[in-house]
Amino acid sequence: MSATSEAPAGFRNTAASPGPFALLAEAVRDVLSRRRLVRYLVEAEVKKRGANTILGNIWWVLDPLLLMLVYVLLVTIIARRPVPDYPLFIFATILPWKFFTSAVIDATSSVVSQQRLIRQIAFPKILLPVAATTAGVVGFAFGLIPLALIMLLYLDRLSPLILLIPVIAAVQYVFTLGVALLVAAGNVYVRDLGNLNGHLLRVWWYLSPGLYSLSQLEELSFFRENPILGTIAAANPFAVLFEAYRRVIYGTPDGPPMAPDWNSLGVLLVLSTIFLAVAAMFFKRLEPTFAKVL
Amino acid sequence: MTDKPPPISDTEHAILATDLGVQYSLRFSRKKSVQRTLSQMMTRTPAEQFWALRHVSLRVVHGESLAVIGPNGAGKSTLLQVLAGIIRPSEGWVDVRGHVSALLTLGAGFDSELTGRENILLAGAFLGLDDTMVRELLPAVVEYADLGQFIDAPLKTYSSGMRARLGFAIATSVDPDVLLLDEVLATGDAEFREKSKARVLELVRGAKAVVLVTHDMTWVREYCNRAILIQHGQVVLEGEPEEVVEAHRRHMDEERKRHASEAAAAGLAPVIAARPR
Repeated sequence: MSATSEAPAGFRNTAASPGPFALLAEAVRDVLSRRRLVRYLVEAEVKKRGANTILGNIWWVLDPLLLMLVYVLLVTIIARRPVPDYPLFIFATILPWKFFTSAVIDATSSVVSQQRLIRQIAFPKILLPVAATTAGVVGFAFGLIPLALIMLLYLDRLSPLILLIPVIAAVQYVFTLGVALLVAAGNVYVRDLGNLNGHLLRVWWYLSPGLYSLSQLEELSFFRENPILGTIAAANPFAVLFEAYRRVIYGTPDGPPMAPDWNSLGVLLVLSTIFLAVAAMFFKRLEPTFAKVL
Repeated sequence: MTDKPPPISDTEHAILATDLGVQYSLRFSRKKSVQRTLSQMMTRTPAEQFWALRHVSLRVVHGESLAVIGPNGAGKSTLLQVLAGIIRPSEGWVDVRGHVSALLTLGAGFDSELTGRENILLAGAFLGLDDTMVRELLPAVVEYADLGQFIDAPLKTYSSGMRARLGFAIATSVDPDVLLLDEVLATGDAEFREKSKARVLELVRGAKAVVLVTHDMTWVREYCNRAILIQHGQVVLEGEPEEVVEAHRRHMDEERKRHASEAAAAGLAPVIAARPR
């Protein structure tokens, strides 16, 4: 049987590297033509995550719930005067944050962990971080189950606006994919990224309005005296995302859910798209060297 | 030398490589940490460059079977990686026509948590094979690998022989136009070795271009119609298999003698003899 395939028949390689936009076009072609591989990799990832545990895929549901419980206890003890319906307040941000961290951490090792394969088969390496990020989406989707469970306790906060979650998640996906491509390629050259990014992510989480809201931050005297700090805090992509998620899931401490701030979300989408394009060029530029460096 | 490939008038070739060079930068190769990279930047250690291959030109036409022989570390595997499209040349260019299948090391990319069947699908996707075709081929691959009910068990339960059989069955399930082989003939038990040899021969005979890297000189003599000898990243001899194998053998003998005499000159032998009891 002759081979029919998604990979091109034959190729021509020279030392010359294509220009940035040709690289970008190639990245898009790679992902579109080989999306089945992405699907298989995501399926494998989902299957594996539950493979060696007794509770299996129930952990997808349990994990964010336990994390929320820890934070609720912590904040209730320390702050003593948490905002009303605090579990829902932080669950609205824990969920997207888990999506981000699992995608970034998986992406960091995605290329490096396939080094045997990369040295032996020619395939678009960009699919590996794309699959890691997409697996994060699956985790996020599973996380909607515990969200629904918690929502049952706060039915008065339920509104049709909750249906906007996928829209916000789409913006987050674009941003996350950009970060994933950068760390996946970077980790090939600088293995320390794997050790470093766990800590960086933790710092990022505490600097983002996850356990608190931006308005709470602005009430601090420190922030009132230095308005620039508030601007910086609001420029964090996760400030925009968290505030948006929280608005549609939780609302405000004393108000029902409302539509997200479309302006800042739109700006974030545009900037994230540019960032993703640059990250894809960066990845494609380094990609041919992976087989030699790994 | 130019990076732009000249127009190709000859349509017969399956592989055409012109003035190939592959350069490794030792600065970034192998697992490195920031600590070492920074300290190198500080001390301004020049990045050591190393040519794994240089000035290699070759042409393989349809129906030809080319053997690549040479001592370890001569660049044979690097050459195959370039021909498979895994490594981009740092110099020169390569043109490969048709579907390439590289039977480099078998079982790469297997996921031990997935079952044999799932691994076949995943490997097919990595190879870029059409999904419907992989599903059609599946029963044949399962039968060929002879795994019985293990096919639906996770790969971590497999013996290394079973893994090798599965790897071989997948890699050879599709008849490629261009077949690249790197020492894969010695896998599995004796029975499977026979079977795999027969299958490789079938692929080789399929009137497609073959490039074979091996240390098994019997293979070279029997199944290849041309051979090249690579030393230190350069093609030093090209010709009839018999002639090239003979040159390689002579060279290896000389090397061995030289090493022996060098060792003797360095006083190794007397030291051993004079070792106190």
